[in-house]
Amino acid sequence: MAIHTLLFASLLIFSLIPSSREGNKGRLFSVLQNSLDVTGKPVQDGVVLEAGKDMVTIKWKLKSSGKVDADATFKTIQVKLCYAPISQVDRPWRKTHNELFKDKTCPHEIVSKPYDKTPQSLDWTVDLDIPTGTYFVRAYGIDGDGQEVAYGQSSDEGRTKNLFSVQAISGGHVSLDIASILFSVFSVVSLLVFFVKEKKKAKLEQRE
Amino acid sequence: MEVEGKGGEAGTTTTATRRFALPVDAENKSTTFRLFSVAKPHMRAFHLSWFQFFCCFVSTFAAPPLLPIIRENLNLTATDIGNAGIASVSGSVFARIVMGTACDLFGPRLASAALTLSTAPAVYFTAGIKSPIGFIMVRFFAGFSLATFVSTQFWMSSMFSGPVVGSANGIAAGWGNLGGGATQLIMPIVFSLIRRMGATKFTAWRIAFFIPGLFQTLSAFAVLLFGQDLPDGDYWAMHKSGEREKDDVGKVISNGISNYRGWITALAYGYCFGVELTIDNIIAEYFFDRFHLNLQTAGIIAASFGLANFFARPGGGIFSDLMARRFGMRGRLWAWWIVQTLGGVLCAFLGQIHSLTWSIVVMLIFSVFVQAACGLTFGVVPFISRRSLGVISGMTGAGGNVGAVLTQLIFFKGSTYSRETGITLMGIMSIACSLPICFIYFPQWGGMFCGPSSKKVTEEDYYLAEWSSKEKAKNLHLASQKFAETSVSERGRASTHPQT
Repeated sequence: MAIHTLLFASLLIFSLIPSSREGNKGRLFSVLQNSLDVTGKPVQDGVVLEAGKDMVTIKWKLKSSGKVDADATFKTIQVKLCYAPISQVDRPWRKTHNELFKDKTCPHEIVSKPYDKTPQSLDWTVDLDIPTGTYFVRAYGIDGDGQEVAYGQSSDEGRTKNLFSVQAISGGHVSLDIASILFSVFSVVSLLVFFVKEKKKAKLEQRE
Repeated sequence: MEVEGKGGEAGTTTTATRRFALPVDAENKSTTFRLFSVAKPHMRAFHLSWFQFFCCFVSTFAAPPLLPIIRENLNLTATDIGNAGIASVSGSVFARIVMGTACDLFGPRLASAALTLSTAPAVYFTAGIKSPIGFIMVRFFAGFSLATFVSTQFWMSSMFSGPVVGSANGIAAGWGNLGGGATQLIMPIVFSLIRRMGATKFTAWRIAFFIPGLFQTLSAFAVLLFGQDLPDGDYWAMHKSGEREKDDVGKVISNGISNYRGWITALAYGYCFGVELTIDNIIAEYFFDRFHLNLQTAGIIAASFGLANFFARPGGGIFSDLMARRFGMRGRLWAWWIVQTLGGVLCAFLGQIHSLTWSIVVMLIFSVFVQAACGLTFGVVPFISRRSLGVISGMTGAGGNVGAVLTQLIFFKGSTYSRETGITLMGIMSIACSLPICFIYFPQWGGMFCGPSSKKVTEEDYYLAEWSSKEKAKNLHLASQKFAETSVSERGRASTHPQT
C-alpha cells in the first residue's frame, strides 16, 4: 500500500512540473543591444516614494546614436521595475543572472505596449505591492516570437546612478491589531476559566 | 465511521469494576487500536491529541509557504529568514523538556491545552508584525507549541498497552507532523481566497494567519472538554481522591536524566526528527533555487515531503510493534537502527543528485525512511522508564529539536556550504548519530548485540529499581508493577529465559 501511494505521489508530482522549457533556454542578457534610451524620474528627487501614492515619470525612445534599423524586429516594449544591487544583497530571490530565464532582477512589470517609433512617456503610480527598496527602470524590446532583443535602462551599467527609493505599505490595519488582541485575550482567559473549573471539580471529588 | 458509545462510565468516579469499549490490560490501557472509533476514553484521547498536535504544526510552519510575500512586506533578508527558521524550532527545545515534567505532574490534557492556548496569541499577533525582529519573535513563540508532541506521546503511552503503543504513538505523531506538510497547501489557498475577497497582498497574508490561530484555540477547547488523562479518570481528580499519589518532582527528574538510554534516544531522534524539521524549513527553497521551479511547484514538492507522514511515521510505529511481537525489544532496536541509517544514506545521496526527477524520487523515499525512524524511536521510548516516562519523552522530543537547530546552524546558515552540500553532510551526520542506538541495553531483554543479562533480570526488577524501598513501603510503585507485568511481551516469541 505504501509503495502504491509513493508511486502515485511521484506521478502526480511529475505531471505538475512544466515538462519542457522553451528552446531559447540559454538566451543571455549580455547579447542584447542597448539600443533604448530610458529615463525614470520620481516626481520629486531625493525623496522616498510611497507605494500606492507617489509617481514616477518614465520615458523611453530609440537611441539616436544607435544603428539605423536597430528597432526593425521590435514588436512590443516591456517596461519593468528593477532592483538596484543594494536591494539584492543577502536576497538570493532577487539575484541577477546572465541567463534571461533565470534572471530575477526585474520581477515587476510596469507596462507592456506595442512598439511605437515615437518617444513614449508614462506617469506611473508605484503599485501597492512593491516592496521597500531601491530601484531603476528597464525597458526590453521584444520581437514577434516573444524574445528579448534589446534593452535600455534608466541607470548606468553598474546600476548605481539615477536610482530611486520606495517605501512599501505596511499591510497592517488597526482592525487586524484589535482582532489579534481580542482573540489572544479570549484564548488566555478561557484557559484560566478551565483551570478554575478543574480545581473546583477536584475539590468536589475530594469531598465525596 | 464506527462510533462505539457503550462502555466507559463517567470517568471521575472510582469503582472497582469498569467497563470499557475496548479490551484493556491490568492498568486499564487498551490492548487494541481501532482507528475509526471515538470511544471514551482511549480512542477519543487519540483523536483529540493528534488533531491538537496537527494544528500546532500547521501554525508553526504557516510562514514558510507565504515567505515570498512576507519577505517583501517586511523587507527580510536571507539571514533573517534563516534565523527565523532556527527560532521556530528552538523555542520548543526547552518547552519539550518542561512538558515532560508537566505531564507527569498535571496530566497530558491540561499540560497540552495550556501550552496550545498560551501560544495561540503568537499566531494571532503575526498579523500585526512590522519588522524582521517581529517575524523572528512570533515564529519563536509559536514554535513552543510543538511541545504538544510530548503530551501526545505521553497520553498515548498512558492509554495504550505495550503491544500497540508503538502504533498509537506513531500514528498520533505522524498525523500531527502531517501539519507541516498540510500547511504548505492550506496557507497559499487561504491566502488566495482572501485576496479574491479584495485584500491587497500585504494585508491578505496577515488575515490568513487567523485561520491556524483559531484552529489551535478550538482544538485546545476540544481537548479540555472531551478528553481524559487516564483510562480511570483525570489526574487532578484522581490526586485528590487519593487514587493517584503525587510523585516527587525532583526524584522524577533525576531518575529520568540519570537513565543513559534517554540521552541516546534524544541524540538519535535529533537525527531523524531534527532532519525532518530542517527539511520542512529548507526544501521548498532548495527546489526553487536549484531547479528554477516556480513557487507553486516548489511548494507542492515541499508539501509532499511532509504529507508522507500520513503513513510513514505510523508505519514506523506499526513496524516496531510487529518486530516486538516476534523478536521483542531487540527487534525494535534493530529495526530502528537500520531504518534510520538508511534514511541518512538517502539524505546524503539526495544532495549529490543533479536531475530534478531523481531528486524528487530520492526525496520521497528518504521522507518515508526518516519519518518511519521517528515512529520507531517512540516504539522504544515508552519502555525506558515507567516512573519518569514524561521526562524521557520530553528529553527525546527536545533532542529532536536540538538536532534541527544544530543542523541548521552548522550546515544551512549563510553561505558556508551550498544547500546540496549541506544536505549531504546532514545525511552523513545522521548516520553517525544513529550509531549510539547499538549501545542501548535492557538487562531484562538485551540490546542489539547482546542477549538479556545472565543474571536473569526480570521486568519487575528493572522498573521497580526506579523506586526506593521507602517509597515501595508507601505503595507508590504500584503503577510500575502493573506496567512491568504487561511489558513481558517485549521478550518476543522466542523467550530466552523461562516465564516466572
